[in-house]
Amino acid sequence: MTAPALELRKITKRFGDFCAVNQVDLAVPRNRVVALVGESGSGKTTTGLLALRLIEATSGQILLDGHDISRIGQKEMKPYRRQLQVVFQDSYSSLDPMMTLGKIVGEPLQIHGVGSSAEQRDQVQVWLEKVGLDGSYANRYPHELSGGQRQRVAVARALILGASVLVADEPTSALDVSVKAQIVNLLQELQADIGLSMLFVSHDLSVVRSLADEVVVMLRGRVVERAPTDRIFTDARHPYTHALLDAMPVIDPKARRRRTFLSADEIAARTPRLHPSDLVAEPLSDSAEPQLVALAGSHFVEAIVTEHAA
Amino acid sequence: MRLVEIDDLQVTFSQHDGLVQAVRGVSLHLEAGESLGIVGESGSGKSVTCSALLRLLREPPAKIAARAMKLGDTDMLGASRQEISAVRGRVAAMVFQDPMTSLDPVFTIGHQIAETIMTHRKVGRKQALAQALEALRRVEIKNADVVLKYYPHQLSGGMLQRVMIAMALSCEPDVLIADEPTTALDVTIQAQILQLIKDIQAETGMGLIMITHDLGVIAETVDRVVVLYGGKVMETGPVNDIFASPLHPYTKALLNSIPGQVAGKRRLTEIPGASPNPAHPPAGCPFHPRCPMAIAACQQATPPLETKADGREAACIRVAPELVPA
Amino acid sequence: MTGFIIRRVISMLVTFIVVSIIIFLMMHSIPGGPFDGYDMPLPDDVKARLMATLGLDKPLWEQYVRYMWGVLHFDFGVPYQSPGESVISLVAHAWLPSVTLGGLGILVGAPLGILLGMAAALRRNSWIDYIASAVATLGLTIPVFIISTGLILVFAVWLKWTPASGWGEPRRWILPILAYAAVPLATYARYARSTMLDALNKPFVSVLRAKGLSERQVIFQHVLRNAAIPMVTIFPAMFVGIATGSIFVEAMFRVPGLGAYFVSSINKRDYPLEMALMLMISALYSVSYLIADILYAVLNPRIRVGGGRR
Repeated sequence: MTAPALELRKITKRFGDFCAVNQVDLAVPRNRVVALVGESGSGKTTTGLLALRLIEATSGQILLDGHDISRIGQKEMKPYRRQLQVVFQDSYSSLDPMMTLGKIVGEPLQIHGVGSSAEQRDQVQVWLEKVGLDGSYANRYPHELSGGQRQRVAVARALILGASVLVADEPTSALDVSVKAQIVNLLQELQADIGLSMLFVSHDLSVVRSLADEVVVMLRGRVVERAPTDRIFTDARHPYTHALLDAMPVIDPKARRRRTFLSADEIAARTPRLHPSDLVAEPLSDSAEPQLVALAGSHFVEAIVTEHAA
Repeated sequence: MRLVEIDDLQVTFSQHDGLVQAVRGVSLHLEAGESLGIVGESGSGKSVTCSALLRLLREPPAKIAARAMKLGDTDMLGASRQEISAVRGRVAAMVFQDPMTSLDPVFTIGHQIAETIMTHRKVGRKQALAQALEALRRVEIKNADVVLKYYPHQLSGGMLQRVMIAMALSCEPDVLIADEPTTALDVTIQAQILQLIKDIQAETGMGLIMITHDLGVIAETVDRVVVLYGGKVMETGPVNDIFASPLHPYTKALLNSIPGQVAGKRRLTEIPGASPNPAHPPAGCPFHPRCPMAIAACQQATPPLETKADGREAACIRVAPELVPA
Repeated sequence: MTGFIIRRVISMLVTFIVVSIIIFLMMHSIPGGPFDGYDMPLPDDVKARLMATLGLDKPLWEQYVRYMWGVLHFDFGVPYQSPGESVISLVAHAWLPSVTLGGLGILVGAPLGILLGMAAALRRNSWIDYIASAVATLGLTIPVFIISTGLILVFAVWLKWTPASGWGEPRRWILPILAYAAVPLATYARYARSTMLDALNKPFVSVLRAKGLSERQVIFQHVLRNAAIPMVTIFPAMFVGIATGSIFVEAMFRVPGLGAYFVSSINKRDYPLEMALMLMISALYSVSYLIADILYAVLNPRIRVGGGRR
C-alpha cells in the first residue's frame, strides 16, 4: 500500500496554556480530497498551517509522501515545498499587487531555479490556460481581476512547480455563489489531470459535499468525527457534526423549519456512548474519557467506550 | 400604505477615472409585515440600493436619482437632514455585515444602545439603559446586565450581531433592513441569528428586508424575492415560485450552481465568466455575456421588467408569459 | 495597570543609565578638553593642574561613577563656564524663559493646528483643506529661523506692532511664541487631519448615522473621541521640546533660556553642564512617553479593559 500523500500523526500545537490543535490524526490518500471542517476556534486553519510547516508543531509528525518532514530545517524543507503547496482564502491579499500575473505565477519557478527564462514564460502560459485564464493575462495586475479570477491565479501559482499535495484554506469562502462553482470545478479537473491530493479546510459543508472524498470534523482542537463524505451526510454520529449539518440552510423554502440549538456544553454532554462491540478495532485506551474510536466503513467518532452503552 | 417604495432608483458614483453605475433602475416595494429578500452577487447593487434608501451614501461622490423613494410617508429624496435622521433607526433600522466593526470601540454596549433610544424617544439616561437591558434580553443574551457594561472588543461575533439586532429593534422600527447579517459568522451562529430574526419578525409583525448573496438564507427567511444583477432587477416573485420554477436564466443558473445540493462529488454547473464591472456595464441585458439563452436582441436593448405571471416579474425577452407554469 | 506602570518605571531607569553612559562616552570622545580652546594657550603644567582639580585626570569610568553618584544626590556639579554657581542654579535661572516660551508656543500652536486639521478632514478637498495643507507644509519645511526673521520683519520693523526681541515684558513674548508655535501647529494640523479621516472612514460611523444620530452628534461624540486617542501619542515629543528650548528661536529673539547652553556646553566642553542638560532631556522624554502611554491606556478601552471575547 502506498503511503498517503500527506499524513499528520498526533499533531499538537500549544500557544502557552491554550491548546489550539490537540493530537490530530489525519491522512490524505493519493489523489483524494480530504476536507477539514469546523467553525472558528476549531483549529482547522492552524492544522493546515502546521501541515505546511508555516507554523511549528509542539509535537507530532508530518509525513509528506512517507517522508517525515516534521522537524527538518527550513533549508531541507525547500525541495519538499515543490510538492506541498497552499492556496489561501483571501486572493486579494495573497497576490502581490505590484507584480504582474505572469511574474506572480512564475515566481516559484524562479525561486527554485527551474528552467530558463523562456521555459519559465512558457510554463506560465501553460498554467494560466490550465486554470482557465487566457495567456494574455500574464501582463495584467491583480486589481484588474475579479475574486474568482484571482483565486485561479493563486491556484496556478501553487501548482506550477508540479505540486502533488495542495492545502487549500477556505479558497471559496470569499467568493460569490456562481464563482464558487467555477473554483470547485477547477479543483476537480486538476485533481483528475495531475493526480492532485488536497487537504481542503472549510466551514462550508455544501462545497465540501461536492468536492471531498473524506470529511474530518474538528471541534476545539480535536477531531470529533471522520468518515467518507457520504457517510458524514447520511450517518453522522457525533452531536457536533449533527449541529453543523442541521445549521446548513436548506435550499427549499417549503422545507423551512424551526431549529433549536444546543450550547457547547450541551453538545459535550451528548458525547456518544458506545459499547465495545460497536467498534471494529480495539480502542486505544481503557479510560472513560472521550476518544476517537473506529466504526465500520472507515468511520471514526469521538466517543466514550463503556460496557453500559445506552 | 407601503413601508418601502423605491421606483426606478439610479445610483452612480463619480470616481477619478470615470462613473460607476452601481444601481441602474431598480424598483421594489415592501408592504407592512412582509419579508423581502434582495439577492445578488458582488456588483449587483443590492447593498447600495438600501444604503441609498436611508441616504447613507456620501453624496457626492454618490448621486441618487429616482422617480420615488419613500420610507413610510417620508419622501427620502426630498427630506431635510433632520427628517432623514428622525426616520433612521425609528422607521427603518439597519443591521450590517460585520458586527466586529459596527460599534464604536470606546463606548460600552449599554451606552450605544441607550444612545439610540434617547435619540428617538424622550427618556432620560436611566430609563434608556433599562430599555437597553430589555432589548438585550429580547435577543436572548444571557446575563444582559453584565453585557451592558462590556466594550465591543469583549464580545464574540455572534454576540455582537445579537447586540446590533437589539440596538436596531430598540426603537421598534417598522422595517428592519439586514445587509448580509450572517455572512461573517460561523454556520451554527448563522442559523441562530436567522432564527432570531425570523422569530422577532413573527412576534412584532415588522417588515424585513434581507440582503444576501446566499440563496439558502433566502429560502429560510423571506416570503418574496427580488433578484439583482448588474445593477438591475432580473426577477421578482414569491419565494416558493422562485425556487421551484425560476423564470430568468440568471436565477436558474444561480440555483443550479449552488454546491452540495446533491450527494456525491460531481461537477457543478457553473456560470462562465464574471459579474459585470459597474464601471463598464454591458449594453442591453447585463447578463447576456454569460447567458446560455442570449440572442442578438439581448444586447441591443435592456429588457423591461414585465409581469409574466401572477405576482411574478422577469426582465428577459426569452421568457414569454404564457410559458410560465401555473 | 499598576504592574504596567512599575514595569515602565524600571525600564525608564535602565534607559536613563544606558543613555547616561552613552552621552558620557560621546562627550569625552570629542577631542580637546575645557582648557584647550582659549586664544591664549595655557602652559602644559598649568593645564595639568587645572585638569587634576576638576578630576579630569582620573580614568573615565571613575569620572562617570563620581558624576552619577553626585546625580543620585541631585548634585550635578559646577559648570566650567560659570564656576560661581552650581549647574542646578544655572539651569534654574534659564529654565523658566524656555518653559514659558515652549509652553505658550504649544498652547497656541497645538489647538490651532488641531482645529485646522479637523476642519480640513471634515471639508475634504475644499479651500480649507488646501489652506490647512499649505500651512502644515510651510510650517514644517520653512526653517524656524526664517520664520522668525519673517515675523520680526513684518511685525516689528514694518508694522511696528511689537518689539523685535528681548524677554522683559510679556509684549516681547508675542513674536517668539508665534515663531515657536509654527512647528506644533503644522504637525498637529497634519496629524489631526489624518486621524480624523481615519476615524470618519470607520464602518461604525455609518452605523451611527443609520441609528439616526445627527451629524453633529456623530462627529463630536464619537469621531472626535476616536481621533483623539492617536493624537495623544505624538504629544510627548512635542512637549519635550519645551525644556530643550528652541535654540534658534531663543537665539533670534534673544530669549535668555536654556537653548544657548546646549550649544555652548558642547563647544566649551563644559562636561557637568552638558551631562546635566542631556540627562534632563532623557528623563523628560521618558516621563512624557510614560504619561502618553498611560493616557492612551486610559482612553482606549481595548487596553484598559483587556480579556478575551465572550
